[in-house]
Amino acid sequence: MIRFMGVKLASGLAAIFGASILAFIFLRIVPGNPARLILGPLATQQAIDAQITTMGLREPIYAQYLNYMGGFLRGNWGFSYSAGQPVTTQVANRLPATVELALYAFLFAFIAAVVLAVLSTYRRRAIIDGTVRGLAIIGLSMPPFWFGILVLMLFFSYFGILPGPEGRLSPTTAAPDAVTHLYTVDALLHGQFATFLDAVWHLILPAITLGLAPFAFLVRLLRANLLDVSHEAFIVVVRSKGIGRLWAFARHALPNAFLPTLTAAGLILAQLLSGSVLVEKVFNWPGIGALVSDSIVRQDYAVVQAFILLSAFCFVVVNIIVDLLYHVIDPRVRVS
Amino acid sequence: MSDSKAIGARATRTSKVEHTAGDPPEAETVLSVRHIQTEFVTRGTVVRAVRDVSFDVKRAQKVGIVGESGSGKSALALSILGLIEPPGRVTGGSVWLNGREVPLRDDRRMGRVRGREIGLVFQDPMTALDPVQSIGDQVAEGIRRHQRRISRKAVRRMAVQLLQDVEIPMADHRLDDYPHQYSGGMRQRIMIAIALANSPDVLIADEPTTALDVITQAQIMDLLERLVAEHHTAVILITHNLGLVAEFCDVVQVMYAGRLVERSGVDDIFDGATHPYTEALLRSVPRSDHLESGPLPSISGAPPNLAALPRGCAFEPRCPIGHGREVCIQEQPMPILLGPPGAEMRVECHFASERYERARAEGETR
Amino acid sequence: MSDSYRQGLVGRTPGNTAGTDSPSPVPLLQVQDLVKAFPRRAGLFDRRAVSPPRAVDGVSFDVARGETFGLVGESGCGKSTIARCVLYLMRPDSGQVRFDGTDIGQVSTKDLRRLRQRMQMVFQDPFTTLDSRMSAYDIVAEPLLIHGVRGKDERDDRVRQILSLVGLIEDQFNRRPHEFSGGQRQRIGLARALVLNPELVILDEPVSALDVSIQAQVLNLLRDLQQRLGLTYLFIVHDLTIAEYFCDRLAVLYLGAVMELADRETLFREPLHPYTDALLSAVPVPDRRRQRRRQRVIIKGEVVPLSGPQPGCRFRPRCPVGRDRETCANVEPPLREVSPGHWVACHFAGELRNTTVIA
Repeated sequence: MIRFMGVKLASGLAAIFGASILAFIFLRIVPGNPARLILGPLATQQAIDAQITTMGLREPIYAQYLNYMGGFLRGNWGFSYSAGQPVTTQVANRLPATVELALYAFLFAFIAAVVLAVLSTYRRRAIIDGTVRGLAIIGLSMPPFWFGILVLMLFFSYFGILPGPEGRLSPTTAAPDAVTHLYTVDALLHGQFATFLDAVWHLILPAITLGLAPFAFLVRLLRANLLDVSHEAFIVVVRSKGIGRLWAFARHALPNAFLPTLTAAGLILAQLLSGSVLVEKVFNWPGIGALVSDSIVRQDYAVVQAFILLSAFCFVVVNIIVDLLYHVIDPRVRVS
Repeated sequence: MSDSKAIGARATRTSKVEHTAGDPPEAETVLSVRHIQTEFVTRGTVVRAVRDVSFDVKRAQKVGIVGESGSGKSALALSILGLIEPPGRVTGGSVWLNGREVPLRDDRRMGRVRGREIGLVFQDPMTALDPVQSIGDQVAEGIRRHQRRISRKAVRRMAVQLLQDVEIPMADHRLDDYPHQYSGGMRQRIMIAIALANSPDVLIADEPTTALDVITQAQIMDLLERLVAEHHTAVILITHNLGLVAEFCDVVQVMYAGRLVERSGVDDIFDGATHPYTEALLRSVPRSDHLESGPLPSISGAPPNLAALPRGCAFEPRCPIGHGREVCIQEQPMPILLGPPGAEMRVECHFASERYERARAEGETR
Repeated sequence: MSDSYRQGLVGRTPGNTAGTDSPSPVPLLQVQDLVKAFPRRAGLFDRRAVSPPRAVDGVSFDVARGETFGLVGESGCGKSTIARCVLYLMRPDSGQVRFDGTDIGQVSTKDLRRLRQRMQMVFQDPFTTLDSRMSAYDIVAEPLLIHGVRGKDERDDRVRQILSLVGLIEDQFNRRPHEFSGGQRQRIGLARALVLNPELVILDEPVSALDVSIQAQVLNLLRDLQQRLGLTYLFIVHDLTIAEYFCDRLAVLYLGAVMELADRETLFREPLHPYTDALLSAVPVPDRRRQRRRQRVIIKGEVVPLSGPQPGCRFRPRCPVGRDRETCANVEPPLREVSPGHWVACHFAGELRNTTVIA
């Protein structure tokens, strides 16, 4: 077990290292002069040269890399020139919004996928199954930003039952005292029920929009697995003991069908945690995705670099958690 | 041992009439199957997997069901248990256990019968156990389902006892292991333990040793033989292996194209089958006592398409006796009872009586 | 006599004793001290590579032209691995495979290709080994294309001829595998193997997946083709009833080694190895009278793969004869010839038989 975790951690670190090098080199290669961007179009050539020197851009590229990584590990993620803030501050401001949205989107995708996959396979009714498969195809083929705009028009402009693109809370609601920085959690911790409801109310549309594609993906995977498992001999054997259909399904078919989807679910969560540019833009969501897209446009290296490293880290952590989960759930993987 | 039992059984039975659906089964009979019909409907075609199958099984009797793949033997087993899943459906007939009709079409009530009165040992031990649950949980599941008032500890004790009964070494430790930690033979022992957990009256064993090596097969069959004798359990052994039937069973039933074409005492059938199909089947198995007599007698052609069955006898196209005969092409043969009163012989062939008499005459002259 | 006889012929292997009298003294296939081990996958950080258990551990046998040689044994005995080594689909760790006198481990890739035309394999599952998108005709024509048989007409003649030979009729030629029954699919597999006119055909459980009545059809066909085309068969089979019916000589394998090797008559009438005895008595007999007469030796336990090289006899843990004997625990019994053509690897060959007859 310890050996196994060692291997996993080592390969995770290797992945992060690889990502950091790629990100570093890639962003050095793209055209554009950062010094001019910082100082503006009117700056003199001398000033620009001086700026390049202070930024360390004259040093050999490996030295630049080592400088950067050393700083990164010490908590100095660089300075965002476009915002005039350290990157750490910016990320700290933006990350919670993305994490909260990602978690709710994942929750929606996951629960909806399980429920619908079960519904479509349990009784094998052609109508339900057809509907679910149709939904999955729609979910996979619809561009999320377009779907976001569609639901906004429908539920905000037309019915007026859900909030418009105004961010995480209504303008009149104050953010709860920060503990986890996730508004729904913090609000509950402080017993601010109205704030909690407001936060959830604002999360509904973006979470569904963001979770739609993952939902469609998971529901297809789960449905196929469930169909396979329900034809397995052991289900017949369980039933031959006198166990009812529902219990056999819940206790035997579902866990076995669920196991192979765990890896996919982990990857989806990691992807969601890295933020979504378009969905955040549509809902005016103050998350990391919007920040990164702005930074790319402004050629603000420091932010993009930090983001790439952060998402690599996120993937590695989620993967390790998934592997651990397999060890807990699947006896076949357990090291004896 | 099986001989004396068969003789005893014969002596107590005097006459036998054709089954009708309402027949109250005889007292010593544990299981009666009456006119079971099972169909599978896919894309408009109806596959008639089981066609009007009726038979009785007495207490502690061992009945073999043989047939080739697609003959409906597995579908029959699942039909008796009420476990035919859509697109399949039991479209007719009834099953009686200890004189009471089994609620075949009521899944909830059927749950009280399955595992308690009828147990199932399924083929392929590799896929017959849930890979993510411990052996102990899977054995206990069946016990708890039917004996709700007993404590967790007692259930565990019973599970350990069951594993010891099927000769699993260190049963107490191995209870918490998972299926992948067991060999194929050991898993099949677990399957038997599960099937016998509530001492059912009838055990259906569907190809219980097909996936196993011969020595393991012999071990498993010995174990099964000992356990069913101890529990006085009746066994329906479904297999394609005629050797297994000869060694294990009292009575043989042969299925072809969904119908039970012949039922006979095991000695009768191996001395000389009456149905041409049974005869051909027996002759097509290589036997060391006639090795040099040229090619193996084989049955030409292939089993019929169950979605497009002929009007008459389904075996007619391949039959050495009836091929081309008008009566065989036109009429489905009805079961004919043969032999002395009480003999377990029943054959679906237009020429059954004729063939039976001739075989007996030949036997006497020999 | 046996030992001096053996020494007289240097390098003699358990081959066909009759072979010395036949016009062609070189057996078609000679397998000598074949060894093949499958190293367990050692991880990146796992350097505890112990010597892995051998799937095939020093197997030798000869197959004479025109005979059917059977390899029997339980799963894990190495019979399929031997077949793959014979075809050089898998490289043996050591040992020799000689085909018609040529050591196929020594020949060039080009020559190996040519040799392979003369050795073909028929697999167990006719469904998974036929491409479902190809017609029967194309499946059988493919080897001809691969091995460059020129001339469209020549190819066409050959394919049609061989398909008719295995018993398919013209209007079935263009059907695909799923339109055939199991027995017919096996016929196609056989046609594919025979189209290149091989001398040796390796039959890997060719009838195990088939129904009883279909088994008989295919076995008859195999016999018929052997006689007509002068084929030599290496027959891998777990069903002893079929082995007895079909093979001229057989080797009984246990955990990668030959336990006993003899002609059919001898092996089934007078088995000397306790394992052979156990195997034979475990086979259910579809004959009530013979069944009652016979003695059953049901050994306990299951095949447990060896974890590495061990002293003594590999069958000892389950052996009713040698379980508690010191010799069996310490000395691996060599395969010795106890009578001409009858080879046994047991220190106490025949003992079980003698005691049970007395008892």
